[in-house]
Formats: sequence, structure tokens, C-alpha cells
Amino acid sequence: MVLDPAVELRNVTTIYSGENRPAIRNISLEINAGDYVLVTGPNGSGKTTLLETILGILKPVSGIVKVFGHDMVRSPYKARMMCSYLPQDFMKKPDEPFKVREIVAMGLASKRALGRLSRDDWKRVDEVLKLLGIDKLSDRPIGRLSGGQQQKVFLARALSRDPKLLLLDEPFSSLDDDSRRFVADLLYKLNRKGMTIVLVSHAPPKIAGLTMRVRLVDGCIAGVERCSS
Amino acid sequence: MHSWCGEMFLLTVLSASIIAGSLCGISGVLIARLRLSTLVFAIAHAALFGAAIGLFLNIDPLYTAMMLAILSSVIIGPLSDATGVPSDTLAMVMFSTYNALTFIFIFLSPGPTLAAEKVGGILWGSILAVTRTYLAVLVILAYLYALVLALLWNRFQSILFDRRLAEAEGVNTRLYVYLLTILSGVAISVSLKIVGGFLVFSLLYIPAACGFTAENIKRMILLSALIGGTSGSAGVILSFILNLPVGACIVVTATVIFIAVSIYAYIKRKQKTVF
Repeated sequence: MVLDPAVELRNVTTIYSGENRPAIRNISLEINAGDYVLVTGPNGSGKTTLLETILGILKPVSGIVKVFGHDMVRSPYKARMMCSYLPQDFMKKPDEPFKVREIVAMGLASKRALGRLSRDDWKRVDEVLKLLGIDKLSDRPIGRLSGGQQQKVFLARALSRDPKLLLLDEPFSSLDDDSRRFVADLLYKLNRKGMTIVLVSHAPPKIAGLTMRVRLVDGCIAGVERCSS
Repeated sequence: MHSWCGEMFLLTVLSASIIAGSLCGISGVLIARLRLSTLVFAIAHAALFGAAIGLFLNIDPLYTAMMLAILSSVIIGPLSDATGVPSDTLAMVMFSTYNALTFIFIFLSPGPTLAAEKVGGILWGSILAVTRTYLAVLVILAYLYALVLALLWNRFQSILFDRRLAEAEGVNTRLYVYLLTILSGVAISVSLKIVGGFLVFSLLYIPAACGFTAENIKRMILLSALIGGTSGSAGVILSFILNLPVGACIVVTATVIFIAVSIYAYIKRKQKTVF
């Protein structure tokens, strides 16, 4: 039996509405299940657009996008259930009326029928909060936390879903050095357990275990390098 | 016997105003969080247009208002997608059109044009329009509204927090937002009879503005519902005592509560800063 690739992009071009210039152009890329991919490139090179096109949040004007064999233009929801996403613009305003534990639970709720959470689900939420060292922030409103703490909350939300494909947009941007090392190590361990990871970063710390590096320049792939483990 | 009938009528009107006010209060918070104010503004006027059709056809405006509000909730999104016109702009086009059509249908409705009773009933509200059947419809709708919110709360909560992230996680946010818009449209339609088309929007936003002083989303919704219900009942009593239009009395009451809540929130914030 041949397994579908985790991500398959064929001649994909995405243009933001109201713009003429494509944000990504004629991208073809195949990411296998279990890969750990780093996407780099300068600001405005199309890294975030690539992630959001993979998830089907942005619809390409041409080309085919598939995640675990699901066409992300026609039927994105089944595939998204298997994915988690850490967005780049995660910062919330101080008056945001949601607490940390609720926010992490939301990630899991979207995978459950009618969004209902069981006792085990809440246990899972608490475990992930503890794993990231933010369990003491459980009852704090998200808007009152620092940028780094907020980023960890969103990472906890992504991990609580136990995704097959984890898409991370600049996951180290607000973290201090110790937290960067901790998160990089955690991602390495998760990948070893079989999670496919696509990580976007313009200035990544030292990352162990990468299987592929993709460099984007001006919306196009400037280079793909398979890394030996 | 006469007094007993009067008491029953007052009780019916009070119950109806509490339920309608609470439904509007809940809808107001949800709409404001989702930044759908313009959309719901158009839907409110669709309900008004529906009520005018009801007058024209000489049928209960409640049902025609509800039909037009639901229809409008359902078509704005797909129409915006199909035409490429932003939904806010499209909502304003529809709002203007609904207004024009409302006036035309009021003008064409049977009987003397602008007869105070019939037109007043839909423009500035009338307690005389509150019947037991109307109260029964309100109770059923309130039950359905509460049931949908309770069943799907975690989904709605995720969308209210970050719609884009919820979508990325596999929640069909468009479907749930349509559902909320339809629920709000229905809440507006049923409130038209009491508050009137000119003021129903105030009953959506004034309680919601009070609700936003709370610290979490559930309390926001509860506070907004409570203030909507209180404004409704207190406004009805004021209207009885002062013999003034009920819709205006409800909105003025809501505004007074809003001022009191704002002062309280200000003092509380100051105290937190000091200590």
C-alpha cells in the first residue's frame, strides 16, 4: 500500500485578493509523513502564505494542494482535523475575555463531536499546559500575559490536538533563549514519535533532526535540500 | 374580572419584554465579538421590511419579519462571495433598499397611510401587539436559542476567540456564523413588536456595551442578557406609568443602566489601579 504524502503541492500559485502579484508562484513540493521541514526566506518571501495555502485558508488561483490525500480546496475540513497551526500573529489585546485553559481546550474541542470535551480531554489539556511549563497560568486571561507566554499557550493549543501534521509560523519569535531550546527539543522528540512538522522561520535557532530545508525567495522555491539524519 | 385581565395582560407584556430583551442582549455580545454589526444592521432592517409586507398583506408582521430576517441572514454571505463585494458594503446596500421598500409597503398598506396604530406597531413598538400567541412564540424561540448555544458552545467559543484559528483547526466557521446570524435575525424580528424597528438596534447594543465590562465571555453574555431583560421589563412599566411609547422607554432605561454600569466599571478600575 502506498501512503499519501503528508503535503503535496503541484504548481501552486496564490494571490491575495486585490493584488496582481502572486504571494507564492508555481510552487511544487512534496512532504512525506514523518518529515521535519524548515521553511526559511526573507520577509515577504511567501512563507506564511505557503502555510496558509497548505491549510486551505488561502485558496490558490492555480495548482493542486493535498494534505494526507485530501484536496484542500474542495474538502479541507477532514484534513484540518489532523493538523494543528501556530499562527504568527497570535498576540491578543489586554481585555481579551478568555482564559489560558479555555483557549487550549478550544483546540481539542474542534476535534470532538459538537465540541464536547470529556474528563480525559481536560486531563490532556492540563498535561500539555504542564509540559510547556505554563500550568500556573491556567486561570489567567490571555491578554495579560507576555508575548512569550502567549506564544506558549498557542503552542499548547496546537499540541493538545495531537496532530499528524504540525504547521508552525515563527514559533520562536517571542521566546527567550531557554524556551527556544526547550521548544526546539520538544519538536525534535515529537517528530521522532512520527509527527510531521513544517516550521517557518526567518531566523531559526539550531534545530536538530530536520529532514528537509526549503528556501523561499520572492514567492518561489529557491532551493530544496534533503537533510541526512 | 376586569382587573384580573389587566394583570394578566401586564404579566404577558412583562414576560415578553424580559425574553425579547434578553435575546437581544445575548445577540448583541455575539455580534459585536464577531464584528458583524453592519451585517446585523441590514438584517434588522430586513425584519422591518418583512413587517411592512405583513401590514400590506394584512397578516401578522411577526412571521413576515422573521422570514425576511432569516432570508437576509442566509443570502448576504453567499451574495458577497459571488459578487466579490465586501459583505459590509453589500449589507449597507441592502439596508438602504430595505428602508426604501419598507416605506413603499407602509404607504401601500390598506387603510389610512401612517395610521398610528399599525405603523407605530412596527416602527416604535406597541404593547398592544403583545398577545399570548406572541409570548408562546417568544418562549419557544428563547428555548431553541438557548439549546443551540448550549449544545454548540465550545464551537462558538472558539470562533468568538479567533475565527481564523478555529477555521484552521477544522471548524466550518462560516456555517456557525450563519447560524448565529440567523439566531440574531430571529431575535430582532421577535423584538420588533415591542421595541419597534427604529430602536431595536439599541436593545442589541446597549446591553452588550454593559456586558463588555465583565471579565469573561460567559459573564459578558449573562450580564448583557440580564440588562436586556431588566431594560425590557422596566421600560414596559415606565411606559404604563408615563403613557409613553414602550420602545423608547425600554431604550432610555437601557441607557440609564449603561451609564450606571460604566460609572461602576470606572470606579472599580480606579480602585484596582490604586491598590
